Amino acid sequence: MSDTALEFEVEALSYMDQLYAAALRMTRNGADAEDLVQETYAKAFAAQDKFKPGTNLKAWLYRIQTNAFINTYRKKQREPKRSDAEQVEDWQLAAAAEHTSSGLASAEQQALDGLGDEEVREALADLPEDFRMAVYLSDVEGFAYKEIAQIMDTPVGTVMSRLHRGRKLLREKLASYGAERGFRDKRAASTTGKEV
Amino acid sequence: MAGAECTEALDRLFEYIDHELPEDEVQRIGTHLKSCPPCEAEHQIKEKIKALTARTGGEKAPEELRNRILESLRAVREDA
Repeated sequence: MSDTALEFEVEALSYMDQLYAAALRMTRNGADAEDLVQETYAKAFAAQDKFKPGTNLKAWLYRIQTNAFINTYRKKQREPKRSDAEQVEDWQLAAAAEHTSSGLASAEQQALDGLGDEEVREALADLPEDFRMAVYLSDVEGFAYKEIAQIMDTPVGTVMSRLHRGRKLLREKLASYGAERGFRDKRAASTTGKEV
Repeated sequence: MAGAECTEALDRLFEYIDHELPEDEVQRIGTHLKSCPPCEAEHQIKEKIKALTARTGGEKAPEELRNRILESLRAVREDA
């Protein structure tokens, strides 16, 4: 086995935990995630001649996994694929620059402070697939916009659109969890007669 | 009320927290955030949500999956 092949193998295998975590976000199911990662490695090793040494192997593997997911698993899942056209153009409009009133902003910050990892994980899992993966790749994996564009095979503008919309939805979901909790706390307090 | 500086800062906040802006814009927006509490509050909220999301990763591949992959890799190598 050549040094290049060995290096490829060692580095590729070092991303297994991350590919599995991303596969969980894609499939939302442990068994499918495992199959997807196995398929990703089978495809990657079969195509390793096509990988250019010195370029980004991690992003290359994520790209293979994203393709494998689209071709094999998405068909099995009920979630329909949205067309890109509806989501590209209007993110700047959607992000219309507005200040929140300071009272609302601090209430929101407080609500966010009370959220647990499980609630955030659930809110992220609830996002439509393209938004979920863009937010995951940026916030959890720390990929740059250009790398996410490569992985999702889409222009950088579309990545930004998905991030804007995904984060907006995520924020709304987190706010509603926070509000539910506030309501529960108040109700608990009223039955025990305590002030919160 | 949001002025032109606020509009620019709020438009670019995601790129700002994602470290996707050139240095001169980072400087300009950073300076604005220091002087504008409502923009800074919005910045804090976006940073906080990003940090909360970042904490939700880190699952490990099950040992049995790792073994399956190494096994199939060995099989491919023996064929070659």
